[in-house]
Amino acid sequence: MTVTPLLQISKLSKSFGGVQAVSQVSFDLNEGELLGVIGPNGSGKTTLVNLISRFVKPSSGKVIYKGRPIHSLPAYKIVRLGIARTFQMVRPFYQLPAYKNMIIPLFSPRVKGLVGGKYGDRDAVALDLLEEVGFERDAHVAYKIAGALPQGYLKRLELAKAIALEPDLIILDELFSGLSLAEVASIVPIIEKLRLQGKTIIMIEHRLKELFKIADRIIVMNYGEKIADGPSSEVMEQDEVKNAYLGTE
Amino acid sequence: MLAGTAIYAIINSVILALMAIGFNLTFGISGVANFAYGAFYVLSAYATWMMINLLGFSYPVSVLLSILITALLGAAMYRFVLMRVRGQALSEVIATFGIGLAVLELFRYFGFVGFEYNLPVFADYSFFIGGAFVDMQRLLIVAIGVVLVLGLWVFTHHTSLGLAFRGIAQDERTALTFGINPDKIAMLAVAMGAGLAAVAATVIIPLGTISPEEGYDVLIKALAVCIIGGLGSTGGVILASFVIGFAERFTDSYIGSHWTMIVSLAAILIVLAVKPSGFFGKQKELEERI
Repeated sequence: MTVTPLLQISKLSKSFGGVQAVSQVSFDLNEGELLGVIGPNGSGKTTLVNLISRFVKPSSGKVIYKGRPIHSLPAYKIVRLGIARTFQMVRPFYQLPAYKNMIIPLFSPRVKGLVGGKYGDRDAVALDLLEEVGFERDAHVAYKIAGALPQGYLKRLELAKAIALEPDLIILDELFSGLSLAEVASIVPIIEKLRLQGKTIIMIEHRLKELFKIADRIIVMNYGEKIADGPSSEVMEQDEVKNAYLGTE
Repeated sequence: MLAGTAIYAIINSVILALMAIGFNLTFGISGVANFAYGAFYVLSAYATWMMINLLGFSYPVSVLLSILITALLGAAMYRFVLMRVRGQALSEVIATFGIGLAVLELFRYFGFVGFEYNLPVFADYSFFIGGAFVDMQRLLIVAIGVVLVLGLWVFTHHTSLGLAFRGIAQDERTALTFGINPDKIAMLAVAMGAGLAAVAATVIIPLGTISPEEGYDVLIKALAVCIIGGLGSTGGVILASFVIGFAERFTDSYIGSHWTMIVSLAAILIVLAVKPSGFFGKQKELEERI
């Protein structure tokens, strides 16, 4: 029996003027899989995320999610189907306390559709979710204005907002960037927990060592093209990856 | 005299806040500066007048219908015009100002000018408060202003649509990641702004008459209040309304009515010289230029 992939990317391309940001990229992603996407700066990783989440309109190609083409849908409808994303540069509502940042996703059409508007005390749910991603309840960090939080907490907040949407597919754009080793080590168990819950995850990362520990599969991008696809141990041995990504002969 | 002046200053301030709050709500959420705002204000008053005097509708029905119609026209303006130019500030201003101008001048062209064009007051009696007679209509303006501000606060803080409004206002891109449709929210924001202009017209116009000039006057006052308060800030609108409202009335009582405009403009200039983005403005680049 064949299993239909959760996400199918087929010959996806995007050009900005004369620059080919993503070129003919194809891959499948199965339910529950954790896919790592790596590549040098400017290789098209974030554009790929923007194409899947439809923040950018594809020039050509298809994005099929749960058997349904979604590349023509607007971004807000894609979220409602269960695809959540984070940003490389965190984008909280800076003037609101951290836990109030969670209220808007908890009131979102996606969550309302799932729970039928009966979510109970959203403040309590927000605080629970923030505690799950490492906001220590005793330290009252969740009550601080987002603009006053250090980068580590903002990244956790970004993750918590995505989780709040109860997505089936979570796309994390450089979640580990700007974090210390200890901070990354404390976030990895949260991602592993999401996997245990059956979530499918795409992680764009530069922190290869940490990514390789948790990813099932790695895609390597270079100049907008997919140049390798497979387990981390295999892709990093390919000459093209060594040349393009690591710059070694 | 002081108490009486203070009472009329409060009333004047609430009138300014009512005139500006719809413009501010639309800008704060969608970033659209609706320069047709004054036209919506006047249009709703003419609509109410026509329903009462030409169609024979009762006053409450006419008011409710004109608020609804004005809000729908606001939504239609966003859907068919603004959606195409959204994000291009100058195009938005030109498009909305053009629509406003056309509406106001059409009323003038068709002869809707004169003392017969007025709206009835809610209740026609006065109270003696603080050494001055204050009519019921003005007291109702204060009450409605307070209820409207409180209602808007509850709406934006405790309803899912209100939260979506705040999300879009703070960061449209982030709001998009929560499945919020920014065009739908912006359309509702323009519609609500137009509806609030209609509410303001319903309570304020009975103090005078309906005329196309009112449209220009309301737009200029709304702009002045919003710029001093800080575009998009409800607290700023309220504070700015009180600064201008008190400056106008106290100048009128203690210096002379011909100084009212000069003192008001001086108050505006002083605020903008000290705080270029207004009391609660968030345009940091303006602050950093001086």
